[in-house]
Amino acid sequence: MFEVLIDQFWSLTIAGIALGFIYVLISLGYTMVYGVLRMINFANSEIFMWGTFGTVITNRDIFHYTQTSEPAKGWKLALVLISALLMSMFVAALTAVFVEFVAYRRLRMKGTNRLATLISAIGISIALAELMRLLTDSRPVGSPRVLEKMILTEVWGANIRLDTVVTIIAAAIIYILLERFIQLSRMGKAIRAVSQNEDSAKLMGVNLNRVITVTFLVGGLATGAAGFFYITVFEYTKFNIGFTMGLAAFTAAVLGGIGNIRGAFLGGLSLGLLEVYASAVLGTQWKAVTVFIVLVLVLLFKPNGLFGEAVQQTRA
Amino acid sequence: MNSKIQRSLAVVSAAALVFGVAAATNAQAAVKTYTIAYQGPLSGGEASTGIDEQNAVKYAAKLFMKKNPNIKIKIVSVDDQGDPAVASTVAPGTGSNKSILGVVGPAYSGATIASLPYYKAGGLVMISPSATRVSLTDPASPDFGGPVFHRVVGKDDLQGPALAKYATTGVSSAKVFVFDDQSAYAVPLRGFVEAGLKKVAGATVVGGGDSVPNTTTDFAPTIAKIKTSGATVVIYTGYYSQAAIFIKQLRDSGSTAIFAGGDGVFNQEFPKLAGASAEGSRITGVGGLAGISPKLEADFKKQMGVSSGVYSVESYDAANILLEGIKAGNTTRAKMLKWVKAYKGKSVSGNTIKFDANGDISYGLFAGFTTKNGVLVNTGIIK
Repeated sequence: MFEVLIDQFWSLTIAGIALGFIYVLISLGYTMVYGVLRMINFANSEIFMWGTFGTVITNRDIFHYTQTSEPAKGWKLALVLISALLMSMFVAALTAVFVEFVAYRRLRMKGTNRLATLISAIGISIALAELMRLLTDSRPVGSPRVLEKMILTEVWGANIRLDTVVTIIAAAIIYILLERFIQLSRMGKAIRAVSQNEDSAKLMGVNLNRVITVTFLVGGLATGAAGFFYITVFEYTKFNIGFTMGLAAFTAAVLGGIGNIRGAFLGGLSLGLLEVYASAVLGTQWKAVTVFIVLVLVLLFKPNGLFGEAVQQTRA
Repeated sequence: MNSKIQRSLAVVSAAALVFGVAAATNAQAAVKTYTIAYQGPLSGGEASTGIDEQNAVKYAAKLFMKKNPNIKIKIVSVDDQGDPAVASTVAPGTGSNKSILGVVGPAYSGATIASLPYYKAGGLVMISPSATRVSLTDPASPDFGGPVFHRVVGKDDLQGPALAKYATTGVSSAKVFVFDDQSAYAVPLRGFVEAGLKKVAGATVVGGGDSVPNTTTDFAPTIAKIKTSGATVVIYTGYYSQAAIFIKQLRDSGSTAIFAGGDGVFNQEFPKLAGASAEGSRITGVGGLAGISPKLEADFKKQMGVSSGVYSVESYDAANILLEGIKAGNTTRAKMLKWVKAYKGKSVSGNTIKFDANGDISYGLFAGFTTKNGVLVNTGIIK
């Protein structure tokens, strides 16, 4: 039963960490909005899906890579990758701000109840997915390979591949930048102030609408970056990938303690590893069951998630 | 509604009906229109399969109308996206539309099962070109499609052994890892592949296999199992879009094991999505019109503007059975069902089509395809 886990432990671990970092970035989109609004941004899954198309379009239509073209090298590689990353972040951030504007802002101004906002977010999420379905003719879209997936070195029997290394390092950098932004910048402090006490923050002169827009924007940037890494690793997207990935990332956010940025980080990584280990030991058919049993068990003993209470002060 | 208005409406609509019918009869003296339906995925991830099949149905109708200028055939497109959930929303309308005399399709087994209750209720005969799940013609199964369901394609209990044989051709003492996508199509097919492997000399099933949800994009755990098992052949029963993601990851992991798949992977989109990683893959599928007669294929291309695609032979055969039935005057659903049940005729492939009591034909032809320079190339019938 455990022979696969023992035999392939490091390969699985590296794959799990790479997947985990993608979850971390998407779950930031959920956790930041929750921290400020105390509401789940149901459209975040589709913001992610739209983000993946940013990378596909950059690779395929701007730099004209095809399924048969040679992967990029040197400066060209850096240029294409960074353009694709920025494009995905841009598309996702734009979508996120649009969602905030359409589904949240007006309803909030009118003081409607939370259920109305919840439904309007679900509605816009469905609209975004269906629009992409129509645009892509419901077909899966493959992305050309830009980053050659060469094996850099072998550590403890596991192949260390360029794309996973790039994903882990770059995603970690983006996470740290965002975390520092929330911790140190004036805007970050305003976001934290609103999340701790909205009324007091308003009395202190914080511009609530601006804080909320920036929160969606930052969440969108993180989610868009996740879209870029997803394409770099899997080279595939489709109008309906948001649901599975969104649900996983939302689970990660709850696992770590929703509303808590460090919780999202640890939740995402734990989930990525848990998924690959469970699939390897029990068979992939048990992945979802295992993940949700673990989630329920964690919530039974720690209702606020693994790190919900301990790092309350760093809440986004 | 006011009774006066109601009465005048009735008069108006009756008048419209009389004059409308009269006008139509005057305009085109003896031309009669009959309707058949094609059901399959015309949008969604599997759309290319459905579009290919529907083109072959349209082609059959075109040839038929040329030969029989006094009959006009209307084809209703029923788009089920290959998805049982969608099928159960579109099938009721098809079942109750009495002008539809017969259905070519559904293309997929899961969608067929979801549609069956409505077609059984409506007595609507179905001839599927590609639904290969065994239980559809098994009277002991709850999925049994009788009396309305028929198919002109070999079942998965014939495909499984063919796939096992083709995947292991030229591999001595093959160690085979088999996994499925958890769908109603893939799980039983995997069983037939594993049973078929027992009859292949020297072949063993290794690693315990896997069962991967069809929304999976990260195949790392499956690949870890393949590596631990030391498999030399990997067989996937599932569909092409997942197969393309998987094969890329398998090759990137450094594995050189032979990759093989069933007719779910049999789609030219597979090498397009997977690129170079798909080279050398072994896929079981059906030969197509081009494999039977280049002349027919050339005419198809001329008439339809595109090449014939997957299941073109089967779709063409299925449409022809219904069309011949219309010509023979079976213009009610009950007569059409009787006609199909008693049908005996020639497939364009040269085989004799005759349905047994459960709706199956007696032959099953599976051809082996391999990916070469980004296209699936026919290597001939698997014997």
